Amino acid sequence: MTNARSRLTYLLIAIVGALTVCPVLMLVLGSFSEGLTAFGVFTTDKYVEAYTDPEFFKVMINTTIFVLGSSMLSTVLAIFLAYLNTRTDIPFKFLFGIISIIPMMIPHLLFSVSWALLLNPSNGLLNLALMETFGLDNAPFNIYTIWGMILVEGLLDLPIAYLIIAPAMASFDVALEESSRVFGAGSWRTLVRVTLPVLRPAILAAFILGVVRSLASFAVPSVIGMPGRVQVLATHLYEMIATGFATDYGKAAAVGMSVLAASVTLIVIYRTLTAESEKYVTISSRGFRPTVVELGKARMPLFGVVGVLSFVLIVLPVAVLLYTSFVPYSMVPSARAFSMMSLKHWTDVLNDPISLLSLKNSLFLAVVGATLGVILSVFVAYVIVKVKTRASGVLESLSYLSFSFPGIVIGVGFMWFFVQTPLYATIWALLLGYIATYLPYGIRPMSSAFIQIHSHLEESSLVCGASPMTTMRRIIVPLLIPGIVSGWILMASMFVRELTLSVVLSRPGTEVLAVQILRFAEDGLWGRLSALGMIMILISTALVVVATLVGGRFKTA
Amino acid sequence: MEIRIKGVSKYYYAEGKTIKALDDVNLVIPANHIFTLLGPSGCGKTTLLRCIVGLEMPDTGEISIGGDVVWSKAKNISVPPEKRGLGMVFQTYAIWPHMNVFDNVAYPLQVRNVPRDVIRQRVEKTLHFVQLEGFEKRPATKLSGGQQQRVALARALVAEPKVILFDEPLSNLDAKLREETRKELRAFLGKLQITAVYVTHDRVEALALSDSIAVMRAGKIIEVGTPKKIYFDADHRFVADFIGRANLVKATVRAEEGGFTIVDSGLGAITCQHRDVAIGSEATLCIRPEFIRIVRGEAAAASNLVNGRIETLVFVGEAYEAEIRVGDELLLAKIDPEAQLNEGDAVSFTLDPAHCLLVAI
Repeated sequence: MTNARSRLTYLLIAIVGALTVCPVLMLVLGSFSEGLTAFGVFTTDKYVEAYTDPEFFKVMINTTIFVLGSSMLSTVLAIFLAYLNTRTDIPFKFLFGIISIIPMMIPHLLFSVSWALLLNPSNGLLNLALMETFGLDNAPFNIYTIWGMILVEGLLDLPIAYLIIAPAMASFDVALEESSRVFGAGSWRTLVRVTLPVLRPAILAAFILGVVRSLASFAVPSVIGMPGRVQVLATHLYEMIATGFATDYGKAAAVGMSVLAASVTLIVIYRTLTAESEKYVTISSRGFRPTVVELGKARMPLFGVVGVLSFVLIVLPVAVLLYTSFVPYSMVPSARAFSMMSLKHWTDVLNDPISLLSLKNSLFLAVVGATLGVILSVFVAYVIVKVKTRASGVLESLSYLSFSFPGIVIGVGFMWFFVQTPLYATIWALLLGYIATYLPYGIRPMSSAFIQIHSHLEESSLVCGASPMTTMRRIIVPLLIPGIVSGWILMASMFVRELTLSVVLSRPGTEVLAVQILRFAEDGLWGRLSALGMIMILISTALVVVATLVGGRFKTA
Repeated sequence: MEIRIKGVSKYYYAEGKTIKALDDVNLVIPANHIFTLLGPSGCGKTTLLRCIVGLEMPDTGEISIGGDVVWSKAKNISVPPEKRGLGMVFQTYAIWPHMNVFDNVAYPLQVRNVPRDVIRQRVEKTLHFVQLEGFEKRPATKLSGGQQQRVALARALVAEPKVILFDEPLSNLDAKLREETRKELRAFLGKLQITAVYVTHDRVEALALSDSIAVMRAGKIIEVGTPKKIYFDADHRFVADFIGRANLVKATVRAEEGGFTIVDSGLGAITCQHRDVAIGSEATLCIRPEFIRIVRGEAAAASNLVNGRIETLVFVGEAYEAEIRVGDELLLAKIDPEAQLNEGDAVSFTLDPAHCLLVAI
C-alpha cells in the first residue's frame, strides 16, 4: 500500500510539475533567447530592450496606480459590507450572500464591456441619457481613464475580498470588543482600535489577493484601458505579442519575468497571512452570536448603499448586455428603442462561422478540460490530504504554484513551449494551458472534501475485506461526489470564459468565446458582442444547473 | 484464534526525534478471550491494535493470528488488512454516511462476493443480534450514537471473523449511554466464541469487560493479568495507581510473619499481603480509598489500626471523600455518606491486610 502510494505521489509530481514548472522554465529560457524561431540562442538583449523602453516607466506607474487603487477599493467595500452583514441589524441579509457569489458567475470581460457600454464618452448609455436630460454638449463621464479602470476592477475583486473578510469577522471573539466597551471606548473607537487591528491578517490577505488579481487582470485593461490609451503591464505585454507586425515574444518574456516574480512573492505573503488569520479565527470561534450593533437612523440609508451595490454588481451588467443585444445601435431606452428591437445581432452571431467555431471550441474546452482537470485534482488532493510525506508536501506546493500565475505571462511561457511541439495552434495547447493554470481551483474543493472523509471510513473498508480499488470505488468516490461536482462547475465555468491565457495561445482555428468577444469589442461591434456574451452567460448558467442535477442524482442513488 | 506478537517495535520520527510508539512488545492473546489493552493516551495501545489489524506496519518483529504469520520483518511477510479477515469497531464508528444501515452491514459480505440472498439472511441475523432489526433502510446519518455503535458492531461481526478488534468504541458516547452499551457489549461478546482485542484508557471499562488486561506505558507492556489480579494484586506501582485511585505510601520491609509481610511506614507498622521482598528493602504501600474503614472506639483490637484526623471532607453523592492526616501522610478515603463526621474530627480506621498491597517503588 505504501509503495503504491509513493509511486502515485511521484507520478503526480511529474505530471503537475510538467504542467506548472514547464511554462515558467520556458519563460525564463525564452527571455534569454533571440526569438521564437531562434530558441536557445543566448542573449540578454531582450531584457535591456524591455527595461530601457521609455514606455515601460509610464506603464509601471499606471500599473501601480491601477493595482493599488482597485485593491484598496475592493478591500474597503468588502470591510464595509462584511461589517454590515455580520455585525449590524441591517435588513435583507440574504443579499450579502448573493453579492458574494453571483458576480463570480458573470465573466470579467462582459462586466467590463457593460461599463464601457454605459459610460463611454461617445455613446455610453448613461452619458447619452444625462446629455439628453440636462442638455449637455459633452459626455459628463469617461470610463476610458485609469479611474474608470480602478472602479471596474475594484468592483470585480469585491466578492473575493468579501469572502475572505466576512468569515473572519463572523468568527471574531466578541469578548474582545465587549471588554473595550466596558473600559469606556465607544462603538467607533472600538472598531478602529480593536476590531480592525485584530482582523488585520484577513484584511491584508484580501488586499494582497486583490493586488495579485488586478496585476493579472486583462479584461479591464483591454476593454477599458486600451481605448483610452492607458497602458498597464498586461496590455503592454499584449501589444508586444498580438498587435503590430513584429511580435516579440522574447521581450514579452523579459517583462513577464518581473510580473511573475512579483505575483509569486505576493502569493507567498498571502498564504502566510491566511494561515495567520485562520489561527486568529480558531482561537476565538466559540459559537456565540456576536452582539448586533443597532444602526438606528442610518439603517435604511446604509441598506440603500448595499442595494445600489448589488444592483450595480449583478443586475446592471446583464441588463445592459441583454438590452444592447436587441437594439440596432447605442440608444437610451425609450419607446422608440423598444420598437426597433430585433434579433438581428443574435442571428448575425449565429451565422458567423468564427463565432460558431469559438462557441464549439469553448464548449469542448469546458467539458473535456474540466473533466480531465477534476480527475487530476482528485488524485492530487488525495495525495496532499491523505499521504503525508515530504513528497506530498512538494506536490502541494507545486499544485498551488499556478495560483499565482498571471494568465497572460504564463501564456507567453506556454507559447515558447508549444512552438517547439506539434501542439502549437491546436486546441490541445489551450486545453493543457487551461488545466495547468486553473488546477488549484479544482484541487481546493477536492481537498476540502477529502479532509471531511475521516481516515477511519477508508480503513474500516479495508478491514472489512475490500481491496484498495474497491474502497476507492465504493467509499471514497461516492463521498467525494459533492466535491467533484463543485470542482467541475468551477473549472468548467472558468474555462467557458477564459480570456487571459487564450489571447496568447488562441490562433486562427482555435478561437474561443472570450477572444471572439474581445475582437468584437476592438471592432466596436457592441450588438454582436452582447449577443455572444449573453450566450456565454447562458452556457455558464446551464453548466451549473446540469452539474448540480447530476450531482443530486448521484447523492440519492 | 490466538494472536502472537513477538518483538514488535514501531518508531515514529518527528522533528528529528525518534518516538518509540511500540518498544519490543511480546504478547500472547489467548483464543476466545476478551483481552484489553489499557493505558494512558500515547502509550501505544492503539498503535498495537492497528499493527494487529494491518493498518500500520511495525518496524521489527512478527505477528501471527491463529498460526498464520500476517507480518514478519525477518520473513518479509506483510498481509494487507483486507486479507486478514478480521472485524473492527473504530473509535469514530466509521459508519459510511452515503449508505443505509443494510449496506453498511452488508459491505463485508458484498466485497467477498457472497450471493445476495445469503447476504440478506446474514445481515438480518446480525442486526437481530445487535437488536437493530427493522433499521435496514435507515440512512446512516439518521442514527443516534448508540445505534451507530451497534451498526459498527454488526458490520464487524457479519462476516463471522475469528477475531474482532475494538478501538475505544465507547469513548464517543455520553456517560449514561456508555454504561448501558458496556453492559450490552459484555453480553454480546459473552454469547460469541470469538477473540476480542479491546483498546481503552477507561479503567472501569477494562475491568468490567475483560477476561485479561494488559496495562501499557510508553510503548511497553507493563503487566498482564485478570481484572482482579490487576486491581488487587498488581506487581507494579504504575499499574496499581493507574487501575484505580490509590494512596501510595513509602514503606520499609521489616519482617515476614504468618504468611504476611510487615512493613514500617508513615502509618506505623502495617501488616500486608505477602510479597517476596528482602527484609530491609524499600517498597511502596498501596491502599485503595474504599478499603479504609472508619472504626468507632470499641473495635480497638483489630489489626492495622491507625489514628488520624480528618482534614477535608467533601460530599460527592454516593460517599464522602475525606482526606485523613496521619503524621506526614495524607490519605484519601471513601467514607459512608451517612457517617456523622466533621472536618477536624479525630478518627481511627483499620486496613484489611488483604488489601494492603506492596508494589515495587
